[in-house]
Amino acid sequence: MSALLEVKGLTRYYGALKAVDDITFSLPAGTILGFIGPNGAGKSTTMRIIATLDVPTSGEVLLDGKSLVARPDQARPLLGYMPDRYGTYDDMTVFEFLDFFARAYRLRGNERKARVDSVMDFTGLMPLKDKLTSELSKGMKQRVALGRTLLHDPKLLILDEPADGLDPRARIELRELLRALASQGKAVLISSHILTELSEICDTCAIIEQGHLLATGTVQEVLSRTSNAAAFSEVELTLWAGAGMPLEEIARKTERLLLEQPLVTNVSVLNNALRFRLELAVGATPASGWVEEASVRVLKVLVNAEIPVTSFRTREHDLEDAFMSVTKGRVQ
Amino acid sequence: MSAQAVTAREPDAFDRFGEQLADRINPIVVKEVRQGLRTRVFWIFFSLMLVACLFISLFAFAASDGIADKAGQATFIAYFVCLGFVQFFVIPYAAYRSMAREAEDETWVLLTLTGIGPRRILAGKLGSSVLQGILYASAATPFLLFSYFLNGIDLPTIIVGVVISMGYQIFLVSVSVSLATLAESRLVRSLLHFVLLGVLLQGLGFGITGAVLIGEFAQKVTSTAAFWLTSLAVLFGMITTGLLLFESAAARLSLATEDYARGARFVYAIQFIGAGLLFLWGWSISGEAEVLTAGSVTLSVYATLVGLFVASDRDGMAKVHWVSGGRYALLKPGGLRGFVLVISLLMLMAVAFTGLALGEGTLPMGAMLVLVAAPAFALLMLSLPVVVARWIPHPPWQTPAMIRLVFLGLIVLMTGVPPLIGEIVSDADDLFLNALNPVVGLINIERQSHDAMPLVLLVWGIAVGLGFSAFFSLRSRDTEWLA
Repeated sequence: MSALLEVKGLTRYYGALKAVDDITFSLPAGTILGFIGPNGAGKSTTMRIIATLDVPTSGEVLLDGKSLVARPDQARPLLGYMPDRYGTYDDMTVFEFLDFFARAYRLRGNERKARVDSVMDFTGLMPLKDKLTSELSKGMKQRVALGRTLLHDPKLLILDEPADGLDPRARIELRELLRALASQGKAVLISSHILTELSEICDTCAIIEQGHLLATGTVQEVLSRTSNAAAFSEVELTLWAGAGMPLEEIARKTERLLLEQPLVTNVSVLNNALRFRLELAVGATPASGWVEEASVRVLKVLVNAEIPVTSFRTREHDLEDAFMSVTKGRVQ
Repeated sequence: MSAQAVTAREPDAFDRFGEQLADRINPIVVKEVRQGLRTRVFWIFFSLMLVACLFISLFAFAASDGIADKAGQATFIAYFVCLGFVQFFVIPYAAYRSMAREAEDETWVLLTLTGIGPRRILAGKLGSSVLQGILYASAATPFLLFSYFLNGIDLPTIIVGVVISMGYQIFLVSVSVSLATLAESRLVRSLLHFVLLGVLLQGLGFGITGAVLIGEFAQKVTSTAAFWLTSLAVLFGMITTGLLLFESAAARLSLATEDYARGARFVYAIQFIGAGLLFLWGWSISGEAEVLTAGSVTLSVYATLVGLFVASDRDGMAKVHWVSGGRYALLKPGGLRGFVLVISLLMLMAVAFTGLALGEGTLPMGAMLVLVAAPAFALLMLSLPVVVARWIPHPPWQTPAMIRLVFLGLIVLMTGVPPLIGEIVSDADDLFLNALNPVVGLINIERQSHDAMPLVLLVWGIAVGLGFSAFFSLRSRDTEWLA
């Protein structure tokens, strides 16, 4: 898939401070990229440069083949930027606010009315069109802000911490809206420090720390690219308490059995559940399907020992693992 | 309610025209007017102004028999106080609040991304304030005309008063909006708020004093060229200073990806040249060559104070803007270009005024030397901070703010210290000690007349040397930055 957004060797200095250091990544149309990093990592600076609000000290950003650095005015109609502050006018109604920005985007007459209606329809704001923005909940204000970014039908959406402060329901609704936008072919660049939420939304991720891009790609790609991240997998099993033996005893027996098995480490017991890792030796090259193979072997041992296992599952690596693995847990 | 009553009316030709007009004009104006007319502040002050004017009219009408000669003049001033309070205080203050909110909430960034640009945002604020002013003024116009019928004031005076007050309102709104763009932190915002209230109260005082003066004297002097020169100079000063503040605010609001320098530098050049032409007009009307000396000193001071901001410009813009023009595309961003622009204007004025004064040959020697020396002091005071800031290797010293601080420090040092030392060792106005003192030095030159020629040459020599030094310093900074 050809990339809609291409960031090449982006570097930004503020005086002697290198806020962004030689960042390169790309984003195809119709995908959502999660931009992850601790506070001060350089996420917002990178996003502001892509949004044409700042200029890089060196490097290039191409949007649909057009240089954002050389001709920001030409690239602006192609992008929609939503900062972490919603930027609404409290004394305007939802319709007036969107209508005003539609005018600012030089949409005229019926075209403007149709566009505002369509955006209100998409974001579910139609029933609230005559309500003052000051009277809206955070989630609704955020929808108004999202609606504003969609007015000129941009190809790329840049959303800086859009889910910050939203309740779970509003987050789910936001996720649905973003998925719908991606399915329309829009590329979405989204930053957040709530990793579980990003993992539900994003197709790919880019992890940034202290201005450096540490990894980019799908979560699995990011994990497999790190030196030893793919060499372990976490497993959780639960035991049946009604097997005629005290639970503690079963748990102890299971723990003992597990520790006797090759590749098993970090066994921990919590009530009727046990967690452990299947881990290769440092430096060992993981063969394809090694986790499955090791899991089957362990499970067979447990069944043969008549351990009452009611569930046995390996946990999928998520964004949090990727982040912790790549940043070595250096969260600020 | 009947079904017919709730059916929406079909838009007629007038509605369609209104729609088309609203589509064409700056959307900020539409938004601001929409928001402005919805506020309680607008309706309260609108009603208060009308009620006050009505009371004044009733009072004037009842008392007109006793003070027939002065009734028109007094009521005009009374109406003007009511209108002036709104035009010179309420509207500029509302404009400040509106712009400050835009900066605080960073909505101006979102507006900039739409392609509107900072200049149109500010023009929208200014335009909506002018519209509000027109609305207030149109409500007050019948009363102002009523003062004409009470005798004691003529129509040209009323018209001049209203026009100058509109210009003054635009100026004050520009000041307010410009101040609002400086509010980057909560502390600065609080301080600026007090500064603004002070400025507006003082502005209100000036405005009303101006109205009194116009009401009192305008009728007697409207036929003289001096009156029109003064009126034009006042209007020119207000409009161009307002524009300069406006363009500076637009530059401050500009993104690093935009060419921010052009507007401000253009207005600066226009103001400088326009002021020069006004001095020449004053000289031709009065026939007194001293006007040229006054012009040289005034423009030199102006070139130094305003030019310092242009000459200490930072290279914070996108390189693409920097390199799109030649090294001496003077309206483009960059300290070197700003410095060359200011010095070019200064030298142009110095040569023109000196040539004209020499040509006329009536200017006393002292005044002639002051005319020649003033631009040299300006060149010296502009160059020295740039050179000094460059000598200090630590980067923060080369920032615009630091160059301006160095300038202030040097002004204090050069104007304050020599007289103090002079007081101790000989005289406060010692010729040698105050050679480079831009205040006492100029006074000494005027006093010494022919004997001051070597002093003028010395000042010019040092100024030219420092000027070249500042030029090469800025050029090497540009080269380093581009590398």
